[in-house]
Amino acid sequence: MVTIRFEEVIQRFHGRTIFGPIQAELASGRIVAVTGQNGSGKSTLLKLAAHLLLPTAGRVVVMADGRELVGDSLRRRLAMVTPELRFYPRLTARGNMDFLLGLRGRALDETAYQALLERVGLREKEIGTAFAGEFSTGMRQRLKLAVLLASGADIWLLDEPGANLDAAGRKLILREARQAADEGRLVCWATNDEREEAAADAAIKLAGH
Amino acid sequence: MQQSSWQGIKLVFRKELVVGLRFKAAWAAMLMFSLTTLACVSMALQGGTLEPRLLAALLWVILFFASLAGADRVFADEDTAGTLLALRIYGPSQAVLMGKMLYTFFLMVALAAFITPLFVLLLDVTVTAPGLLTVALLLGCGGIAAAGTLIAALTTGASVHGGLFSILMLPVILPVFLPAISLSAAAFGGGDSAGSYLVGMGLYDLILAVGASLLFDYLWYED
Repeated sequence: MVTIRFEEVIQRFHGRTIFGPIQAELASGRIVAVTGQNGSGKSTLLKLAAHLLLPTAGRVVVMADGRELVGDSLRRRLAMVTPELRFYPRLTARGNMDFLLGLRGRALDETAYQALLERVGLREKEIGTAFAGEFSTGMRQRLKLAVLLASGADIWLLDEPGANLDAAGRKLILREARQAADEGRLVCWATNDEREEAAADAAIKLAGH
Repeated sequence: MQQSSWQGIKLVFRKELVVGLRFKAAWAAMLMFSLTTLACVSMALQGGTLEPRLLAALLWVILFFASLAGADRVFADEDTAGTLLALRIYGPSQAVLMGKMLYTFFLMVALAAFITPLFVLLLDVTVTAPGLLTVALLLGCGGIAAAGTLIAALTTGASVHGGLFSILMLPVILPVFLPAISLSAAAFGGGDSAGSYLVGMGLYDLILAVGASLLFDYLWYED
C-alpha cells in the first residue's frame, strides 16, 4: 500500500503563490486527477509528489507499508510521463528503453520488447533503426508509455498523458491507467481532458491564483 | 559495491560513450583546443628548447584547458537535450555520478594518450622516466574527472554555466595540477621526483571522488 500525503503544502515561485495550502492524500488502487486552469500548478504538484521539487511550505510524505520513502527508495518505485521528459535523441527506442530500464535493474528480452511495442501501438518497422530524435510527438508519447509500463513502478505520475495522442492513444491511456489502478498501483494524472477527469476516482481541483 | 550499482555505472558509461561518439561535440572541442594550442606553441618555439618545468607546465595547461572545453558537458548536454529529468527519475545517483566520472576519466586519458606523444615529438622533449609520466598523467586525469564531474553537476542549469565551471574548477584542481607539473618535469629530466607527490595526488583524487559521491545525493534527491 503506497500513499502520498500532502500536508499543508504551499508552493510559491518568485514570491507568487501558485497554490496552497493543500491537504490531500493519494493512495494505491485509485486514479486521482489533478485539474485546474493553465498555470494553476498541476505539473508542479506532480513534481512535488515525485520529490523532484521541495514545497515552499508544508510536507509531501510518501509511505509504503508503514515506511517513508525518500531518495532512491522513492525513485525506484515511481515512473512519470510528462511533456518535459525527453528521450536521448541519438539513441533508438530500444537503446533508450534498455538504458532507462537497465538503471532500474530491469531487462527486456526481444519477445517482451515486441509485445510492449504492440501494446502501446508502436511498430518495429517504423522505429527499429530510427533515433528517438526522429520520432513524431505522438510516437515519443507512446514510447514514454512503454517505459512506464515496463518500469514496474507502483507510483504513476502522469502529466497530460493524452497530449499529442490520437483517439486510439487516448483510449489506451485510459485503459492502462485503470488496469494499473486495479492492480494496486497509485495513479495520479494532471489533466484538462474531460474524459481523463471523468475516468478518475477522485480529483484535486487547483483554483489558481 | 553492489552488483546492481556496478551494472548501473556500466550502463551510464556505455550510454555516454555511444552518445559521445554519435554527437562528437565534446571530443571535437577538446581535440581541437589541444591541437590548436600545441601547434601554436610548437610554431612559436621554432625549434628552440624549454626548461623541463616549463615544458611540464605547458603540457598540463593544454590538458587542463582542453578538459574545460569538454569535461563540463556530461551534465550540460543532458540539460540542453532535456534528458536530465528522465535520468533523475530512472537513474540512481551513485550510478549516474560514477558512470559519468568514469567516462570523463576515459575521455581525459584518451586525450592525454593522443596529445602527449605529439607534444613530445613536436617540442623535442626527452622523456627520461616514461613510467613516472604515465602515472602522473593518470592521476592528473583522475583528479580532473572527479572534480570536473561534480562541478559540472553543480553548475548545470546556471545561466553562465561555462564561466562558472572554469572559475570553480581552478581552485579545486590546483592541488592536482601543481604536483602533476612537478612530477612531469621530473619525468622530462628536470630533477628528482618526490614520491610524496604521487601519494598526495592519489589521496587527493580519492578525497575528490568520495567527496563528490557524498555531495551528489544532495543534488540528485530533493528530500
